[in-house]
Amino acid sequence: MSERSDEPMVLPLEPSGVSRRSFLRAAGYGATAAALAACTRAPERAIVSGLSRGDVVAPGRPYFIATTCGACPAACGVLARCVDGRPVKLEGLPGHPVSDGGLCAVGQAQVLSLYDSHRTDGARTFAVRGGEGAPAAWDAPDAAIRARLDAANGKVVLLTGPVTSPSTLAWIAKFRGAFGAEHVMYEPGCASAVADAHAATHGLRVVPRFDFSRARVVASFGADFLGAWLSPVEHARDWSALRPGRTAPERVSKHWQIESRVSTTGLRADRRVRIAPWEAAGAVTELAGAVAGNAPTTPWIAELAAELLSARGASLVISDDPDPAVQSQVNALNVALENYGATVRLEEGRDGVGSATAVRALLARMKAGEVAALVVAGCNPGHAFPGADGFAAAAAKVGTVAVIAPMPDETTAAADFLVPEAHALESWDDAMPARGVVSLRQPAIVPLRAARTLRECLARWCGDSRKEGALVRDHWRDETDGGRTSLAGAFERAFDAALERGHFEARAGGPWKTRVTGPQIPAARARPDAGHLAFVAYEKTALRDGAQAHNAWLQELPDPVSKCVWDNYACLSPDTAKAMGVETGDVVRITVGAASVELPALVQRGQHDGAVAVALGYGRMGTGRFSDVGPEWLESRPTVAPGGLVGVNAAALLPADREPGATVVVRVERTGAKRALACTQDHHTLHVPAHLAPHHGEVRDAVRTIAPGEIGRAAKPEAHAGGAHGGVDLWPADHAATGPKWGMVVDLAACSGCSACVVACQAENSVPVVGKDEVLRHREMHWIRIDRYYDGPDDGLSASQQPMMCQHCANAPCETVCPVLATVHSSDGLNQQVYNRCVGTRYCANNCPYKVRRFNWFDYPREDALQNLALNPDVTVRTRGVMEKCSLCVQRIQEWRNDGRAGGPPMTACQQSCPAGAIVFGDLNDPESRVAKLARDGRAYQVLGELNVKPVVSYLADVRRKDGGGGTR
Amino acid sequence: MLRASSLTAGGAVLLLGGAAVVGELNWRLPGRNQGYEPVQPVEYSHRLHAGELRIDCLFCHTGAETSRRAGVPAVSTCMSCHATVTAGWDVMLAEKQAALAESRDPKRIVSDRLRPLFDAAGLGADGKPDPSKTPKPVEWVRVHALPSHAAFSHERHVGRGVPCQACHGPVETMERVRQHAPLTMGWCVECHRANAAAGPGLVLPPAARAADHVSTDCAACHY
Repeated sequence: MSERSDEPMVLPLEPSGVSRRSFLRAAGYGATAAALAACTRAPERAIVSGLSRGDVVAPGRPYFIATTCGACPAACGVLARCVDGRPVKLEGLPGHPVSDGGLCAVGQAQVLSLYDSHRTDGARTFAVRGGEGAPAAWDAPDAAIRARLDAANGKVVLLTGPVTSPSTLAWIAKFRGAFGAEHVMYEPGCASAVADAHAATHGLRVVPRFDFSRARVVASFGADFLGAWLSPVEHARDWSALRPGRTAPERVSKHWQIESRVSTTGLRADRRVRIAPWEAAGAVTELAGAVAGNAPTTPWIAELAAELLSARGASLVISDDPDPAVQSQVNALNVALENYGATVRLEEGRDGVGSATAVRALLARMKAGEVAALVVAGCNPGHAFPGADGFAAAAAKVGTVAVIAPMPDETTAAADFLVPEAHALESWDDAMPARGVVSLRQPAIVPLRAARTLRECLARWCGDSRKEGALVRDHWRDETDGGRTSLAGAFERAFDAALERGHFEARAGGPWKTRVTGPQIPAARARPDAGHLAFVAYEKTALRDGAQAHNAWLQELPDPVSKCVWDNYACLSPDTAKAMGVETGDVVRITVGAASVELPALVQRGQHDGAVAVALGYGRMGTGRFSDVGPEWLESRPTVAPGGLVGVNAAALLPADREPGATVVVRVERTGAKRALACTQDHHTLHVPAHLAPHHGEVRDAVRTIAPGEIGRAAKPEAHAGGAHGGVDLWPADHAATGPKWGMVVDLAACSGCSACVVACQAENSVPVVGKDEVLRHREMHWIRIDRYYDGPDDGLSASQQPMMCQHCANAPCETVCPVLATVHSSDGLNQQVYNRCVGTRYCANNCPYKVRRFNWFDYPREDALQNLALNPDVTVRTRGVMEKCSLCVQRIQEWRNDGRAGGPPMTACQQSCPAGAIVFGDLNDPESRVAKLARDGRAYQVLGELNVKPVVSYLADVRRKDGGGGTR
Repeated sequence: MLRASSLTAGGAVLLLGGAAVVGELNWRLPGRNQGYEPVQPVEYSHRLHAGELRIDCLFCHTGAETSRRAGVPAVSTCMSCHATVTAGWDVMLAEKQAALAESRDPKRIVSDRLRPLFDAAGLGADGKPDPSKTPKPVEWVRVHALPSHAAFSHERHVGRGVPCQACHGPVETMERVRQHAPLTMGWCVECHRANAAAGPGLVLPPAARAADHVSTDCAACHY
C-alpha cells in the first residue's frame, strides 16, 4: 500500500493500476470458485405420509366439489377444483339451473377471499364500541349474547342481507319465536322496489325470473343486467343466445338500453338512448301510456312502443329504478305486453328479497330507542346506508349490537360483539334463488377460521348444538319425510346425489293465482338548476356493493366501461367536463348540503350532460391494507396513501331521508388538485401511434362489425391474408401439426365485456396483482385483456368488447427475435413460453403485434402470504426477469392427455367461465370440431391477419344494427 | 496500491479454497443428485418388500397410476401387514415355540426397526393404541426431487406402461432408496426422443406409443 498523503486520491487508469482485464480475470476466478462452492446438495426436503389411507385423496390429483357461490343472491352453481384438500380454482357448474356453466368475475374471485388472512378468527367482544375487540372463546360471547337477547325479549331485531336459504329462514323463524324478534332484510339496488311493485300489482312479493332467452325485444331502463343487476350470469347466457349471428334471424333479439350513465350493458345494446336521470320515471310512464294506446310525444318512445307491441309475449321491459311506483309501471307494461308467464315468470321468482321500507322503519325505531338488541348478518349497513353516519347514529341508541361478519368493518365499529362469518367455500348452506330450485353449498376445505354461518349462530343462541352440516341436512330430512323414518335411507341417498349435482328441484309452494291491479303513478322528479348535476350512484361489475373490496383481483380488474382499476371516480360527460374546465384526473368536489366528497373526474363519452355518476362500494374500511400491494422499489408509490382507503364511499353523499328515486342534486366543482387514474384502455394498443404511422395514423380494423343483413353473405375477410402478399411467404411451412392443432374462436357478438374470463385466467394461471402504481406504468400482468372499441356518436354510443390474448401465431414474430429460443412453437400449434430459458430481453414483447406479452419486472409477492394457497399447483410461479403470456391453458391440455383424452377437447379457463359462451377452444385439425366449424364461419376473421402471422385465434365479427341513432328526451 | 498480480493471487486462493470445500463435499453440478441415498426415519428395505416379497410398487405408491405424484404410503397401509408382522420371522417363530413349550400365549415382540412405525401410528409395543402417543405422520426424506418448473406426471408415464425401474432403477435390490438416474433434462429428453422415434432405448410398449405420441415439446413439461 502506498503511504498516506494529503494529495487527493486519483483513480489510476492503466497502465499503473488494476487493468480492466485483470479485474475481469480475478472476478472470473472468484465467481467460478463461488459457483463450485455452491455445488452442494439442495436442502433436504420431506415427504409426509398420510396417517390413514382412507382419508387422503391421491396427493396432487385434482378433484371437484359441487357447491354454490355465496357472493350474491343469484346463487350460481360452482365447481370448486381442489388439490390436496384446498380449492384452487372455481368453475361454473354445468347443468345448474341458474348459471349452467358460467361464473362471473366476482364468483371466480371468491377463492382469493377464502384465503384472506384478515378474516377474523374466533369471536370478538368489544368492551368499547369501535375499540379493539378482545378475542374470546366461542361460548363466552354466545352466553353473553343470549343473555342480552333474553333481556331484550320483544325488542330484538335481526337485520340481514337477502336470505333465500330455506334452512336459514326456518332458523330465523325459530329465533323470532324464541326472542320475540323481528326480521328485516336489506338489499342494495332495486330488488326491493321490484318486489314491492309485484306485491302491489300481483300480490306476490318476489323478484320474478327474467328470461332473456325468450325476449325478442328488450327495453332496459338503466338495468345493467349483463354487469351487476340481479343475476348477471344467467342474463348474459340468455341474452347472448339471441344475439344476431348466434341464432336464426327470426329469433334475433333487439336490445334497447335507456340510461343516463354508461353501463356495461348499455354499450352492447342495439339502441342506446341517453336520458337524464330525472327523466327515467317519466319515460317509463310515457312508454306505458304509449303501449296502452296514447300517442307519445317522444319519437323514440313511439318507436320502442311499436316494437314492443309487435313482439307481444316475447318482449321484456326492466328497470333498475329504486322507486316501487316506477317498477309498478314496468309491471303494467309487461302485463299489457302479455310477458308474464313468458319472459317474466313469477312462479320461478326469488323470495327473500330485502325491503327498503322495512329498513327505513327500522332506522327510525332504532333512533327512537325502540330497539334493545340488534343482530346484523350478511350486510354492512355501516357502509351501505345513505348518509355519513346513517347507521352509526342509530346504532348508538341500541343497547346491544352483535354483528356476524367476515372481518371488522364499518358495522362492527358500532357493535358490542363480532361473530366471524364463515366463508361460502368452507361452510354448509342452501339457497333458493328461484322457487323450486334449491342450490346446495358444501365445504371445499377444512375451515381456515373459527367462524360460523348465520344459521349456526341462530341455532346456538336457540340452544341447539348441532353442527352446521347436520343443521342443513336435518332441515331437508324433516321437509322431505316429515320424520317418517321409513324414508330415511332413500332421503340420504337422494340428498347425497343432490350434493353431487349441486342442486335439486324442490316442491314449489306458494300461490300462483295472482290478481293484477293497476300501477301507481311515480312522483315527479326534481330537475337540477343550472350549475347543478344529478347524482347517479351505481354498482361496478367487479366490486358490486363493496362486499368484495378486500379482494385484490377484483380491485385490479379493469372496469368494462372505463377500464380503470383501484379507484372510483366521478364520471362526467365530455360537454359538462369541458364547461367546468375539468379533464380526466382532475379532482372534483361533489357537495350535497353539508356532505361532500372529493374524487378524480373521468370524462365518459355517452353519458348524459346532467349527470355525475359515482360507483358505490369503495372507501371500505380496511382497504388501506393495499398500500403494500405491488412491488417495492426505488420509485414505487403505494396504491393507497398511508391512512387512506381505496376510493371514496359514495353512499355517504346520499341524503338519508330521501324518497326512493328522488333526484339527488349536487354541486360539482374543481379543486385544482390532480389524481392519476389507472386506466388500461390505451395500454398495449394494437394501433400505431399517430407520430409513427404513415398518413397521420393508420386505423387497423382490429374489430370488425357487420350489419345483420350481411351475415352469411360476408366475403371471407381472409382474402388479403394470402392475397395481399401474392402467396409469397418468407416463412417456411415447418410447423406441420400432425396431431391436434389447438385454436380458439371468440364471438364478438356475444361478448358483453363482463370480464369473467380475465379473473378466471388470473386464478388459473396464478397471475399476480401489481398495484395501482405499476398499472399506471402499463405493467399490469393480465394474460387476457378486454379491449373496448367505441362506436357511434356520444348520443347512442355503443362499443365492441374484444378479449385479446396470445394469438399463438404460426408465423410468430416473437419467436424469430428471441435470442435464447425461450419462445418456440410446439408440435400442436402452441406458442410456448419457456420461463427457465428466458433471459428477459423483452424483444418478443416489442415484436408482438398484439401486445399480449407480459414481463415480470419484479417478483410479485402477495400482499397476503396466506393467499399463496390460491396459487395453481399446475402452473409455475414466474420469477423476476422473465416474460409470460397466455399459454392457451397448456396445463389443462396436458391434464386432458393424462386422463386419456376423456370427455371432448379440454376447456381453457376463460372459455369455461364465459357465461355467454363467446369463447370456443379446440382442435382446428379436426374439421368436425366446433372450433374448426366456427373458424370457417362467414363472420370469422383474424385480427391483423394482413401481417401474415397466421394466428390460431379467430374472431367472429360483431353484428350491429345501423338503424338510427340513440335519441334523447 | 493493489496490483493486478495480487488480485490474481487472491482469486486463485478463492478458487483453491472453493475447490477444497467442494472436494470435501463430493461435488456435482447444481441440481444433479444422482446417487443420493439419505438415511430415512424408518429403516425400510425395498430389497425385502419389493424384491424378496415381491410386493407390487403400486400397492404402496397408489398415486402413481392416478395422480402426478406417486406418493408415499399412509401409515395405515404399513400397518395392514405390520399389525401382525411385528418382527423378523425367526424371532417370531422362536417366541411361538417358546410359548408352546411353556404353554402360554406368545408375547408380541415389536422389533426395533418397526418401533418408529408403531410410534407414528400411536401404538404401544403391544399393538394397542397408546394414549401417551399421538399418531403422527412419518416424515420421509425426499430422494427424487424435480425442480418446480418441470411438471412430471406419474399417471401419464405409469399409465402408458413405463416401468417404474426405467427412472427409479432397480429399487427392488436397494436396501435404502438411492437416486439411480441423473433426472436431468437431457436424460428425460433422450428417452422421449428414443421412444418417439422407436429407436434403441425403448421403454414404452408399441401400442402406448401409437396412442399418445411421445412429445419433445417444451410445453410437454414446462408450463
